[in-house]
Amino acid sequence: MTRWIAQNRGFAAALVLFAALYFSYHLMHPRGFSTAVLVQNANELVAIGFVAMAQTVPVLLGGLDLSVGAVMTLAACVASWLLDGTPAQIALGMIATLAVGAGFGLMNGLIVVYGRLQPIIATLATGAIAIGLALLIRPNPGGNVDGDLNWALTNSVYDFAETYGFARGGDAAWLQPFVNIPVPLILLFGTACLVWLPFKRTVTGRTIYAIGSAEGAAYASGLPIDRARIAAFTLAGFFAACGGLYLAIQTSTGNADVVQAGAYTLNSIAAVVLGGTALLGGTGGVIASILGAMILRAVSFYFRILDIDPLLQPLIEGIVLLTAVSAVAFRTFGVKNQLELFR
Amino acid sequence: MKPRTILATLSMATILSAGAALAGPAVVSGPGAQPECFAPWTEDTKYLQWPAKEGPYQIAVVNGFVGNTWRIQMVKTAKAYAEDPSVKDKISEFKVVSTGTDAPAQLGAIEDFINQGYDAIITIAVAPTGFDRVIRLADKNDVVLVPFDNVLDTDAVMQVNEDQLAMGKKWGEFILGELDAMGVDGGKLLEVRGLAGNSVDRDRSQAINDAIAADDGNWEVISVVGNWDDGTTQKVVADAIAVHGQFDAVIGQGGSNGIVQALKDAGHPWVPVAGESENGFRKAIAEYSDEGLKGISIGQSPGLVAVAMKAAISALEGNPMPQLISVPLPVATYKDLADGQNFWSELPDNFFTVNEFPPCGVNISGPAIMAETGDDS
Repeated sequence: MTRWIAQNRGFAAALVLFAALYFSYHLMHPRGFSTAVLVQNANELVAIGFVAMAQTVPVLLGGLDLSVGAVMTLAACVASWLLDGTPAQIALGMIATLAVGAGFGLMNGLIVVYGRLQPIIATLATGAIAIGLALLIRPNPGGNVDGDLNWALTNSVYDFAETYGFARGGDAAWLQPFVNIPVPLILLFGTACLVWLPFKRTVTGRTIYAIGSAEGAAYASGLPIDRARIAAFTLAGFFAACGGLYLAIQTSTGNADVVQAGAYTLNSIAAVVLGGTALLGGTGGVIASILGAMILRAVSFYFRILDIDPLLQPLIEGIVLLTAVSAVAFRTFGVKNQLELFR
Repeated sequence: MKPRTILATLSMATILSAGAALAGPAVVSGPGAQPECFAPWTEDTKYLQWPAKEGPYQIAVVNGFVGNTWRIQMVKTAKAYAEDPSVKDKISEFKVVSTGTDAPAQLGAIEDFINQGYDAIITIAVAPTGFDRVIRLADKNDVVLVPFDNVLDTDAVMQVNEDQLAMGKKWGEFILGELDAMGVDGGKLLEVRGLAGNSVDRDRSQAINDAIAADDGNWEVISVVGNWDDGTTQKVVADAIAVHGQFDAVIGQGGSNGIVQALKDAGHPWVPVAGESENGFRKAIAEYSDEGLKGISIGQSPGLVAVAMKAAISALEGNPMPQLISVPLPVATYKDLADGQNFWSELPDNFFTVNEFPPCGVNISGPAIMAETGDDS
């Protein structure tokens, strides 16, 4: 345990920070510690959580992906056309949406590796392309996403079971320990555990960390550098598409909002840093970035329960985030060699 | 019982009771309360009625984007109106948050206020769609949700706005009337449009052009896009003057300070100009109307927030309310501008002059808002 904390100091600091922030929020909330509040918070977290996960993978390489917000928007616009009809059609629509995102990420990866461009420049350009495509398929906000799907996925497990009528409408005894868990949290952490954790243990996954830590050493060790880079950007596209898919379900629509796409890209970088992942690469992980996104959201929760001048809120949010980032990332910025963090 | 079981039972009880009381507004027939203030959009507008609640009420304003003069003025107006003697006693708690252009954050904030037990939530929607879930939750909990300014594409909630088509028509007809009075019955008109793809720009421009088409004069309309922004407008108007030489009138739907500045810089003779309600534009009309700047100024008022708050309180008191409320257009022409009343020579140019809606009892003037610091002390 002590060793784990020593190895993951950034993550541990972020965890403590979040726990403190979130616990006091519930204490002050008139309906604190209730399922309704948890469900609401979880819904707000998912899109930014997924986009933060997406940003993490290229950051681990030592690069930045400026297209994640745009890919999320593109995926949401695609999904807004496809998530209606029979369950089979909806499922197919979901797969198609995720494929669009992963495909876009793959394209990013190929451009970075074979076009030999800096990721930050390449993705700045492809991000504009993604927004352009999104505007093309959704010039005006709209869409028709299945209403049951919206209700079931943005609620607790109980409502999910009730909507689709399984486990005796949510009353089955075996389901009772889980009824209060918000479905969005299951989706977010489920994807992280089922996709990221196994991937991290593969040679390709390890290579991503190795590149961020010491690219020359990784190359000299014969690691598959090109494959890892392409995989990292593909995975980023996939996670961003997960965010877009959920956004479309949550809002029942697609909206090619350029400003929102930009805000999500910037916030994703903030979340990655808050989670303790170093912008120089080599250390951190996507679960930590979800935690970073949670801190980011938790700060804004306070404006709803405290009386703070509305025109001062952005300033206060900025100061709190700066303090949090400094606290979490202080050590990561200070070291000369990323490997020192693993001693 | 174990805590977990208690939680489960409680949440189930909440869900069941909410389901049983399947609430939300009833569709009733009009007329509604205070029709001089809460005018229905059309004759076909339906009326909504919520069960009456005991005051005082908890009210929240969930703004999206913040960072231009209009939004800042809107936030200040909301705070000033909450302190107004006519409503102060009816409001027990009042909060304003800005979520930025982030749909999940705005939806989350609305849902959070519903969870906190707020009675009414006023919002400027960041997108015209996507609010199904919060509308459903608001109905379940008998919360009055009032989008205004950027309204939603739905007839399930009460909304407050100004009629953009009527505004465009008024601009067009006034300018043509002035030109007619000057004996001009044909020539070049410059139209300055707003943010492309926005429904407000679409409606205003369509109404302006319809009014021009309906006139029997021989008009050539040149359209430029100024994004409702002073700087952009100044540039595109200057470009248009450089290319076309001279215009007989300018009809802008925003960035009016830029129109005036471009005309002045180019040495263009003063002509009739239609524009928004910026203080600088009204100052210019007052100064140069004798030289030919026969201006009309109509504004999308930041004071709409106060009308929306008033409508929410009226709905909570159990009055039937129009589903879509059309707020009277605040119009001022060169004939009725007076310093200190509908413009202020000592206030900045980019301040939006129209804030008052006398039929609604909303009487917060420009200087009063500028004095509102927004402190919570």
